[in-house]
Amino acid sequence: MWTLRRFPALWLLPALLPVALMTIYPIAQAFWTSLHSVMLLFPGEPFVGLENYLRVLGSNYFQDALRNSLLFTLLAAPTVVVLGTLIALFLHGRFLGSQVVRSLVLLPWVLPGAISAVLWVWVFHPSFGVLNGLLQDLGLIEASIPWLTSPRTALPAVVVAHVWTQIPFAVVLLMAGLSTINPETLEAAAIDCRDPFKRFRYVVFPEIKSMIVVLLVYNALTAFTSYDLVYAMTGGGPGTATTLLSFQIWRESFSMYDFGAGSAVAFIVVAVSAVLIVAITRALPSDLFAES
Amino acid sequence: MQLRKLVAAMALASGTLLAQAVVAQETTLEFVVWNYSLETIQDNVREFEAANPGIKVNVTDYTWPDYQDSLVLRIRGNTQTDVVYGGQDWLPAWGAAGFIAPLEAVAPAEEIEALKSDIAGFALTDVTYDGKIYGLPYYADTISFIYNKKILEDAGIAVPTTWEEVTAAAEKLKAGGMDKPIIYEYNQELPNFYDAFVAQAYGRGAELFDAELNPQFADPENGAFKQLQWLADAYSKGLVQSDNHESTIITAMNTGAHAFTIVYTYVLAALNNTAEQPLAGQFALAPMPGEAHSTLGFAKSYVVTAQAAADPKRAEAAWKFVNFMAGRPYTVAKRWAVEKGLGFGQLPLFEDADVKAAWGKWADMATLADQAKSAKAGTYTEYSSVWSAYFRPLLAKAMVGEASVDQVMKDGAERWTMLKEQFASR
Repeated sequence: MWTLRRFPALWLLPALLPVALMTIYPIAQAFWTSLHSVMLLFPGEPFVGLENYLRVLGSNYFQDALRNSLLFTLLAAPTVVVLGTLIALFLHGRFLGSQVVRSLVLLPWVLPGAISAVLWVWVFHPSFGVLNGLLQDLGLIEASIPWLTSPRTALPAVVVAHVWTQIPFAVVLLMAGLSTINPETLEAAAIDCRDPFKRFRYVVFPEIKSMIVVLLVYNALTAFTSYDLVYAMTGGGPGTATTLLSFQIWRESFSMYDFGAGSAVAFIVVAVSAVLIVAITRALPSDLFAES
Repeated sequence: MQLRKLVAAMALASGTLLAQAVVAQETTLEFVVWNYSLETIQDNVREFEAANPGIKVNVTDYTWPDYQDSLVLRIRGNTQTDVVYGGQDWLPAWGAAGFIAPLEAVAPAEEIEALKSDIAGFALTDVTYDGKIYGLPYYADTISFIYNKKILEDAGIAVPTTWEEVTAAAEKLKAGGMDKPIIYEYNQELPNFYDAFVAQAYGRGAELFDAELNPQFADPENGAFKQLQWLADAYSKGLVQSDNHESTIITAMNTGAHAFTIVYTYVLAALNNTAEQPLAGQFALAPMPGEAHSTLGFAKSYVVTAQAAADPKRAEAAWKFVNFMAGRPYTVAKRWAVEKGLGFGQLPLFEDADVKAAWGKWADMATLADQAKSAKAGTYTEYSSVWSAYFRPLLAKAMVGEASVDQVMKDGAERWTMLKEQFASR
């Protein structure tokens, strides 16, 4: 009588309720906040409609932050996927100590963002950083380069650190994808074609392309919403050089005590993320997820 | 047999009830801190618990950069929070938002009055909002101009007393091969960044606001305007190396690659720590350059939340705790001073022999005492932390030449005036 087919909603309720509580309620609350003036210093929470959105869009930081976030995403997401693919292909082969190397590659993944930031500050530091020391020892530079405090080099430097933290996840997924390829197919390809690039293009890539697309979308979203690592390394500076849009959610809410504006920035980030997902998936071949 | 079972059951039940009653009498305070020297905090808490049976203290810590937002979220989310570390820049906003309670709500007036007389002027200003005292100093410190004695001696340079002399000294050192003689804490998201700027402006004798809280710093003749111009010039001449945090400034200064920095005074203790730093002993503080040689003094404090003050039992326990941590005989404040080199707002500790002996190892006590005497408090209002968050990135842009000093100062003054009016009409 009480079958799943007759009352599907009732049977799904125990699973849906926690989802609604943990996901839908906070999102709805954030949306409500974005339409109200919720400022710590001022009493009341009056409805202001789209005023918070208009104020954020017209603010002096918005253009810089959006441009930086898009640039950050454009640099970081493809780099993670390309390097991740190369590393996964390398690790897929058997060599002495391959198991150890596979474990070590995962290391950046398990480190919290703040710890990774400290490590990279020590790499980039002008006075005692590893990178400047190396470049000076090789005679490539005379004076130290202020990687994190020069407006020209700060963004590329934090992109490097971000890519380092994201590569392990890409490698794990791509190695899983590579392991599904029939070894006999790879063996036959190795006999028929000596050029490794052609073998990758015509044999390996078609097998892992859907995984690559998923990774590209995932990394675009991760980069676009990145916050902790950049915040710990540069605090958004110098000036507005590494100010990212996701960072403004925090700034508006906790530095400016304006939770309405902070929520509005959050929903703008969500909207841009949705556009990114659609743009990436549309730019890819239509047969991508088709059965081969 | 039945009777024996009944008696045993009753004994067990009454024992359980008694135990519950004892547990019910116990108050557990929620104490929220930033995680500087957490082991010392927990040890102080253990000593408090031992001296105050029936009161337990649960410590929750956040990192310094995350502290303020984590605390705001806790309080807005109604998470039980009783005593917190407060900052002078946040205190008025927290008071206006009703997050915290004045001490008079939890402590006898005569006890507060007695403690007040022991607190240094700038520290007292920093724990006061709307004429009421909201906290007792956890530590109080100044911002110092620190230099490397050996580098200056070797180069035959006298200790600079004005900012122009600092430029001349830095240029001489640069000509002698030191790439960036000045290392500067440059992180627009940290309150330190603004505090250090105010300290330098105070060195010039500047007042950033008048008595009616109107901004004065957009005037090119104001010392703050001149100091920002000085910083922008020093950057453009390649004399300054930015650093994101004081912890890495300590390491960088100990490479011998820099001669000057401007940081919280307690950093001098770390710089001269012989156990950890290779150049320990080479660093000293000089009066803040400028005509006035004044600097910024500030106090971090133990503050009771409004949530705790509303519950008489928690309020009583919270006051006992705050009084233990920051009240007479100032045992905990002295411990921070002796073991960690933290400054203090309790004046009697300046005469304490143990403090003098400990501080004498890393600083010249006479210079330090003079600096503490001439230090001034900052201007903090309900909206100043919001304004500071807006102004800091502007300061950062002006320093590295992304914006003009004139435009930044005008923009900062306009935003201050707007917030002031907005707050007045709320």
